[in-house]
Amino acid sequence: MKLLPFSLLFLISAAALQAQTAATEAPKKKRAAPVATDATVPIATAESNSLVKVNATSQRYNPHLPWQKESPSGRRGLGVVLAGNHVLVTAQMAADATYIELELPESGQKIPAKVVAVDYEANLALLEAPPSDRQKAFFSGLKPMSIDASVRIKDNVDVLQTGRVGELIKSPLNINKVLTRRYIVDGSNFLVYETTGIVRSEGNSFTLPVVKGDKLVGLLLSYDSKNQVTTILPAPIIEHFLKDVSDGSYEGFPGMGMEMQSTQDEQFREYLGLKTDAPGVLISAVVKGGSADKAGMKKGDVLVSINGFAIDTRGDYKDPQYGPLSSSHLVRGRAYVGDKVEIKVIREGKEVTLNGQLSRRSPDEQLVLPYLFDKGPRYVLMGGMLFQELSRPYLDSFGEEQRGGAILRLARIATYPDKYEEAGRKKLVFLSMVLPTPSAQGYDKLGGQVINKVNGKAINDLNDLAEAFKSAKDTWHVIELDDFPHVLYLDTFNAERDNMRLLGGAYRIGSLKRLE
Amino acid sequence: MFGFHAAHMMNHRLLLPLLAFAILPPALGQPAPETATASQAIDVASGAWDGVVNIDVSVLFPDYREPWNAGQPSGGSGTGFLIGKNRFLTNAHVVSNATRILIRTSNDPEPHPAKIVHIAHDCDLALIEAEDAKHFEKLTPLDFGSIPQLNTEVIAIGYPIGGDRISVTRGVVSRIDFRPYSHTSVDSHLAIQVDAAINPGNSGGPVMQGGKVVGVAFQGFSGRVAQNVGYMIPVPVIKRFLKDVEDGRYDHYVDLAASDFPIENPAQAKALGIGGDGIGVMVGDVEPAGSVGEILKLGDVILSIDDNPVLNNGLVRFEGELMDMNEIVERKFAGDTIKLAFQRDGKKQEATVKLKRFDPYVRLGATYNQRPRYIVHAGLVFQPMDRNLMDAHQIRDATVSYVFDNFLTDKLYVERPEPVVLTNVLPDEVNTWLTPYAHSIVDEINGVKIKSLKDVETALAKKDQTFIEIRLLEKTRPLVLKRELAAAAHTRIMQTYNISADAYLGDE
Repeated sequence: MKLLPFSLLFLISAAALQAQTAATEAPKKKRAAPVATDATVPIATAESNSLVKVNATSQRYNPHLPWQKESPSGRRGLGVVLAGNHVLVTAQMAADATYIELELPESGQKIPAKVVAVDYEANLALLEAPPSDRQKAFFSGLKPMSIDASVRIKDNVDVLQTGRVGELIKSPLNINKVLTRRYIVDGSNFLVYETTGIVRSEGNSFTLPVVKGDKLVGLLLSYDSKNQVTTILPAPIIEHFLKDVSDGSYEGFPGMGMEMQSTQDEQFREYLGLKTDAPGVLISAVVKGGSADKAGMKKGDVLVSINGFAIDTRGDYKDPQYGPLSSSHLVRGRAYVGDKVEIKVIREGKEVTLNGQLSRRSPDEQLVLPYLFDKGPRYVLMGGMLFQELSRPYLDSFGEEQRGGAILRLARIATYPDKYEEAGRKKLVFLSMVLPTPSAQGYDKLGGQVINKVNGKAINDLNDLAEAFKSAKDTWHVIELDDFPHVLYLDTFNAERDNMRLLGGAYRIGSLKRLE
Repeated sequence: MFGFHAAHMMNHRLLLPLLAFAILPPALGQPAPETATASQAIDVASGAWDGVVNIDVSVLFPDYREPWNAGQPSGGSGTGFLIGKNRFLTNAHVVSNATRILIRTSNDPEPHPAKIVHIAHDCDLALIEAEDAKHFEKLTPLDFGSIPQLNTEVIAIGYPIGGDRISVTRGVVSRIDFRPYSHTSVDSHLAIQVDAAINPGNSGGPVMQGGKVVGVAFQGFSGRVAQNVGYMIPVPVIKRFLKDVEDGRYDHYVDLAASDFPIENPAQAKALGIGGDGIGVMVGDVEPAGSVGEILKLGDVILSIDDNPVLNNGLVRFEGELMDMNEIVERKFAGDTIKLAFQRDGKKQEATVKLKRFDPYVRLGATYNQRPRYIVHAGLVFQPMDRNLMDAHQIRDATVSYVFDNFLTDKLYVERPEPVVLTNVLPDEVNTWLTPYAHSIVDEINGVKIKSLKDVETALAKKDQTFIEIRLLEKTRPLVLKRELAAAAHTRIMQTYNISADAYLGDE
């Protein structure tokens, strides 16, 4: 009984240790890289002057020690040359990149490149080499590839790869499904083509173009070598991304901000007052401030159409090109931020038409960041106590198996943030660990506690925390926690002295905070 | 065992629970002054040890997955010893879930049926008696000693693995500490570590020094984790149990139900107004339903307990040893009082605390000798959440895990004293769309908030609506069943899935 809080604390430090150990190993690739297959693989070689090799080095910040970066790792892909000497790759190529270069497949000529635009939800990035004579010479032999969004189920397409000396290798695939699926980060359900067929491995695992004839129909998203199932990030999403980029300001893909429940269960239909053959899905949640909410949608409505497309009992609509498809594509894939939307719902037995405008909820507006690339995690270090804002990458670094105690509690807040958002919290500030310092003596086994107040001031994000540390009422800071032991005290003078010792000390801390 | 038990041997266990994890704090570097006992040959034939008996049990492990079934029959064997007229002391885990108990002495192969008189799972002790006392009338009961000193010799006597006859092993007292008792996995009491070999089957046997019992052997580590580490229940815990049952009833341990946080930090000591004398521990958490729920507040500093000063790490000097301050509470009984001195906002205060058992934590520990409670309705299986259920169903659902894991830490028991889990949906036409919702916590049925299994019965009995409407905690759609269809399916499902009774609410 009495031992509970302590055994819980041991769990956290053990879990943190494990995560750190894992981080020192070779970084794992997020996608299943295509593997070498046997000699029966059909291989066709051809030529294309629209592809460049892309070599990127990526280095992410350590989620547990946010002032330092993990070891860099290399990623290779095959980019597609588009108009304006832009090169299209998946966002994974650009994520946390420290150096990107383009390479001509045959001659091996290289040129540095930078990111023009990136969308981590849609997993797309556009690269360019800064204009120069060298850039002109590099692109002189290359021809932009055009995009073909007309692909349908049963079409044959080819995955392109280059061999050692730049020869082009084609792996034929057959599209057998079109559906929506999570790409690589949370909240990224988009259109994908699913195909069967064997993809040969040539080591360009992070971006591989998929073509039909000489036109781009998509980029390889994932390859399951065991079942030989490939998913493709399709041309309609690429076109959406490029169109958004082309007007100079990037808005991203809009979302509805609602949750649907199928109504196939007859007893449930009768309970909802739906006729036997009536279409529609139950709206079980509406995100506050989202497109659906602003249009006037309410929990309990039965959604029957979006922009004139009827929604069936599964939540699908009939796409003219692909057949039955999740209605989320009507908004996410086919519409843009700022577009008007017309929604029809059944409310209290009557059809109601709702009109609204589509918007996108950016990651920064969410209590728990769904993803974080290119930037270091925000933190404040005070007298050895490390405060961070809860994020998905932080939680994910513990893995699925190790979730218990404080991590389980934090993970649950990430899943059900409403209560905390309604209380006015912009981000969830928590004590992530305590470095051994004289001023934090006795606290070094703590970790995972949510911060409510510091020096009497409510903490709604790390900026609040940094401000609150400036206004101690006494010679000590009072830190109030949501969990055991509920209150901690820190000597103001000694904490500052320990701060100075931490800077450049054994822990190689270069800065006491990151708030940008 | 004996020949006629051959049929049972397959699932026969020798009893000794193993600690699942190793915590290896630095050893107490305290030299012991002397060796208390000299080795002496033991003559088993003399009958002097006949009071140490072998306990052979047949058990029935309850089935928390199919709670309407009887469970899994099995067997086990441990040790016990005579402490009074037809009273044998043993471990609770030796006789838990027993359907038959047989006692045998070392010199006589005849089995004597016995029954449980008192059982205390929270301190892993039980008293049993032979149904026919006559056979044991001539035996001499063993006497109790006290807490032995470190590095003094003890012997463990019992019927462990490795043979059928009585066994004696020898070692020294290695450590005296507050330890988790693995039988329930949530209780901690004083325990004494010895390096005498304590093996499966030793459970419940006496550990002796100078001819007196100084402990009951009860748990150890797996050989892969640690060697020569065995634990015994010391005399204060045994005597407390025997005193508790004097009135014919076991009332369980009482608890402060508060967690302390050490005052090691200089700023913390200053802010809490604590002097440099190292006295006082901070209150880090208080259970509102516990003994001090109305008395202590977060941030209070406990200064003394029954006039024993409490050090800044929560220890007290008690009977010459530094012990956890809870040891003082441990010796008390339900309804007893303790005197607490504490400091709040710089002011000293005193309070007299009436001690009581803290029930919510019992749910987090393993329970025994109980038939699983449940309600089945139209194939939906409802069971109260406890450790047995969590272990049996291997529940991974995030909400259920959260509620179990934080039942105390987030005070969830206040709103929902007995969370009810929809553990299974036995597939049938009537519920085919509901099968993905198994492993959810039931929030409401027909508008009735579900705070215990009994509420499920009450809510399902309401027959004024066309639909049974079940709301699950943190699941976005309600489960609905048309009442007339559910009623028709219920009988069919009971037959198909071979369920004899559609509910057991524990009221028999």
